[in-house]
Amino acid sequence: MTKTEFLEALRTALPGLPPAELEERSAFYSEMIEDRMEEGMTEADAVAAVGPMEDIIAHIAAEVPLGKLVRQSVKPSRDFRTWEIALLVLGFPVWLPLLIAAFAVVLSLYIALWAVVISFWAVVLSLAVGGLGSLVAAAAQLVTGELRQTAFLLGLTLAAAGLAILMFFGCAWLTKVIARSTKSLVVQLKTRLIRKEA
Amino acid sequence: MDVQLKRGLLDVCVLAAIKNESSYGYRILKDMKPYVVLSESTLYTILKRLEAGKLLTVHTAEHNGRLRKYYEITPRGRRRIEEFQTDWNEILAVYRFITREEEQHDED
Repeated sequence: MTKTEFLEALRTALPGLPPAELEERSAFYSEMIEDRMEEGMTEADAVAAVGPMEDIIAHIAAEVPLGKLVRQSVKPSRDFRTWEIALLVLGFPVWLPLLIAAFAVVLSLYIALWAVVISFWAVVLSLAVGGLGSLVAAAAQLVTGELRQTAFLLGLTLAAAGLAILMFFGCAWLTKVIARSTKSLVVQLKTRLIRKEA
Repeated sequence: MDVQLKRGLLDVCVLAAIKNESSYGYRILKDMKPYVVLSESTLYTILKRLEAGKLLTVHTAEHNGRLRKYYEITPRGRRRIEEFQTDWNEILAVYRFITREEEQHDED
């Protein structure tokens, strides 16, 4: 692949990236390729040294902020015609509530997902507090000489503590999995915006 | 390695590569290569971040009939290197403490 072909491929692969950002990145890669060639590398080797296109796209998707990509994505490629502006203004009572609703659905899904995680943590916390409470109660019963009730409360303490410890690891794992998957969803969305597949 | 720690380390590495004289992208990569291997994309991100934080400045100069960007360290960038050295001495002290404990266990 020649340098020109590489830069063209980069442009084609990233239509969703703001033009100024794309220009700056292209100039950076171009300079790197030229510096390598100046050192005696062949053009093909110098291009190959920049790394696979897929890696470059993945890297850009991970670091460019989502807001920037969305702005670029919704920006019209040409100026609006008069009738389009009129339609946008007249349709305002329709499209604005729809937009807000769509945003609210996404937000509520996200909140619901984390609410599940929080409720699991609440169970862990209540088990721990309950266990501690029954331990205190067991001590109190011991003072009054109620041995059977003391044994029962101690049993409750052990059961609650055991469950809390087991659930703690489960919750920690669940939190990590959900955090990782929401992050990868955002990166996937960004990749789609960059490549304009969406 | 922890992402934040690695990011901080790489920032200082790039600053160290330009601390004596201003340098350009490919030379920074080459100078760092014996110690840290970076991809072009990663270097681009770091340089942009350092520029935004005013730790380095960028100027363009002509070289062999084309334009090349040169990166120059700022006083703020030099301070970052110094801060890193102080921090690192503290980390080293903790590291020595941790490994000393292990050595004692090994002897037991």
